Amino acid sequence: MGEARIPEAVGIDPPSLPLGFLFWAETRIGTWEEAKAELSLAFEGSRESAQKEESFVYIVSNDALLGRTGGLSAMVAAGLLSGSRTAAVEGWKKGWTANVVAYEADQDPASVLERALHLLEDGMISGELVHLGPGHVGKALA
Amino acid sequence: MKGTVVVTGAARGIGRVIAETLLNTGPFTVVGVDIAPELAFTEGIVPVQVDLTAGDGPATVRSAVEDTALPLLGVVNNAGITRDARLVNMTDEDFSAVLDVNLGGAYRLTEALAPLIIPGGAVVNIASRAYLGNFGQFNYSMSKGGLVGLTRALAIDLAPDIRANAIAPGLIASEMSMGIPDDIREKMIAAIPLDRMGTPQEIANAVFFLLSPQSSYITGHVLVVGGGRSLT
Repeated sequence: MGEARIPEAVGIDPPSLPLGFLFWAETRIGTWEEAKAELSLAFEGSRESAQKEESFVYIVSNDALLGRTGGLSAMVAAGLLSGSRTAAVEGWKKGWTANVVAYEADQDPASVLERALHLLEDGMISGELVHLGPGHVGKALA
Repeated sequence: MKGTVVVTGAARGIGRVIAETLLNTGPFTVVGVDIAPELAFTEGIVPVQVDLTAGDGPATVRSAVEDTALPLLGVVNNAGITRDARLVNMTDEDFSAVLDVNLGGAYRLTEALAPLIIPGGAVVNIASRAYLGNFGQFNYSMSKGGLVGLTRALAIDLAPDIRANAIAPGLIASEMSMGIPDDIREKMIAAIPLDRMGTPQEIANAVFFLLSPQSSYITGHVLVVGGGRSLT
């Protein structure tokens, strides 16, 4: 069985996954300890998924990636992106992938989740940051 | 204007050269921070031996800055460690240690010092090209990516008076890179268009630029100093 973590505030239930790991990052983070706990949760789930040679996907806020929602949420979102890129390199020959979906604030969580599940199942796309919507166009993201 | 700059990880490696460069070429009093008690700071640097991941570490640095009785012009978050392993083999301890030092320490110190930085001042975070991904460095990549995220947030939150930028060094000839086996290091160099490792001085030069008025319209940027390695 796979595992999915979605914060309560998102308002949708975590799906039951046959394989892999899905991690939706919390955006309301008030302390360094909370930020570290969030990254640690993602690490533990990702490691377990990698050990089973199964893919994983992170879901982050585009505003957080750009630093618009404060340092702590930016650290989590951008940290997850970098971690996924390293994981993508490590997993490729083993047949598992790692990707990130970045959503905009006004998007329907169920639609965001659907796209993330597509990535989780795809098997060819890896190390990608997939933006939903055009909010990243012209912005400083690499 | 004469003022103070804080450099972390200043007793060795790239941080030591950054601290020396600022001391010797800028109008700076340099507060050097490092955890290693066995190391000596360069003469002329105000030494603070402290653990930035521990409770009162950042407050101790803040006191040292206030003791200089000079305006705080900049903070250079350079301290960093590696604990490399493939994700499947990475331990909780190695993940936690790298996050604490590379990201938590920088966040906590910047929180403590930002109120002291005067208009025109700047924060420079030393990230790594590994923020773009690097085999065997899930923890390090994540910490340095987090530092890039923090940089973007600081650039917004501290504007318009204070700038924040990051530098992403590639393979630099330092204690850290000398720990890489020779054959692997040679392969890494072969993939660098400029065909060599960078020097700590070349990172220090970039730090000096980003602290100086020469970069007065640059904020929220990640400057990759990697000899073109990101292209190959």
